[in-house]
Amino acid sequence: MKMEGTYEVPAPREVVYAHLLDPEKLAQALPGCKKLEPSPDGSYHAEMTVGIGAIKGSYHGRVEILDQVPPERFRMMVNGQGKGGFLKGEGTLALTDSAGGTTVHYSGDAQVGGIFAAVGQRMIQAATKQILREFFQAFAKLLQQAPPAQ
Amino acid sequence: MIPEIFEYHVPETLQEAARLAAQYAEDGKLLAGGHSLIPMMKLRLSSPKHLIDLSRLEELRYVREQDGKIEIGAMTTHFQAVYSSLLKEKCPLLPETARAIGDVQVRNKGTIGGSLAHADPAGDWAAAAVALDAELKGVSIAGERWIPVAAFFLDLFTTSLNSGEILAAVRFPMIPGRSGDAYVKHSHPASGFAVVGVAARVTLDEKGAVEEARVGITGLGSKPYRARAVETAIAAKSPSNKNLEAAAGHAAEGIDATSDLYASEEYRAHLARVYTLRALALAVERAGEI
Repeated sequence: MKMEGTYEVPAPREVVYAHLLDPEKLAQALPGCKKLEPSPDGSYHAEMTVGIGAIKGSYHGRVEILDQVPPERFRMMVNGQGKGGFLKGEGTLALTDSAGGTTVHYSGDAQVGGIFAAVGQRMIQAATKQILREFFQAFAKLLQQAPPAQ
Repeated sequence: MIPEIFEYHVPETLQEAARLAAQYAEDGKLLAGGHSLIPMMKLRLSSPKHLIDLSRLEELRYVREQDGKIEIGAMTTHFQAVYSSLLKEKCPLLPETARAIGDVQVRNKGTIGGSLAHADPAGDWAAAAVALDAELKGVSIAGERWIPVAAFFLDLFTTSLNSGEILAAVRFPMIPGRSGDAYVKHSHPASGFAVVGVAARVTLDEKGAVEEARVGITGLGSKPYRARAVETAIAAKSPSNKNLEAAAGHAAEGIDATSDLYASEEYRAHLARVYTLRALALAVERAGEI
């Protein structure tokens, strides 16, 4: 499943980039995130509750950040699973300056499987977009609370 | 699979239900007809620790005329809506919508309140609610309020009902004179869900031109919406096929259409336009009938 979109974030690019790659900040921004810890091999181990409406589940997984070009772009690989199924994804996040701060362009490929994918196939795309929207909303809120960049 | 273990509560009054809903707001779920929630629980996609069954609340099963509007209790089943003579006479969009839902078993148990509160992006009732500017009554231990439909559907499976708030009733305007209602839907051949569903109410003026058109669309995006571009395009025009088709062409405008195995974004948007034309044409035809 191809995912692509943009989101406006009210902060300068350097701040956005730094926050996106800071596990402590991200853990605060991600709704339902219980853990986001660095692993010895440079990747991150994540534990989070993800859901929409009544459909919530706990997921654990591995996140890898690659090809970093601060403050422009980086690539991310995600591999997660939980009761409702699994998710394997790869994406690129690119940041450009905008009037309101920064435009985050995300584009990637996701493979979703398991129960939710099987019975909820008609909503996978909409559900994924909603989760991304919630993430960016929470992320934008977090940035608004951040102290101004030095 | 069977659901994870849960506590089962059966309140006898709406007050008691509201108390339970508040008490178990964190890890509880309200149960109406159960045809959306129970399958999810059996698959363990949703595992509330407390289930509050509203089925004993007869006070929430009614269809009546109240203050010039039609008010329907949230626990009214789709079956009851289909066979309500009051609805057939005063708000025919509603029985036609209810008839299109699921199958016999779903219609016997499923409720209008449950369907609207569940906010499935392909829910049939949602199209009618949005088209007619319905108002939804929320009841909680904090009191009650009427929520306009424009502020109700927020996103996929997400409404503006607060935690612990019970949807108790829905209010619709009656059909005015010189008007026709229609609900048409492209059903998924296996599930029966609306790939797209279009609800329309068209009112004509004395000269036969469109005085007002109301169009609500479900299934296209992550939530139902008023197709205002369609309504504006046909307002004050003669409802000729050419004009209706031109207006229906705006049906999918501005909507991020869903894509799945059955229908791509483009095909879904195309279906929205086709079914909007059908709904408008049918509503116009019925508006002309005495």
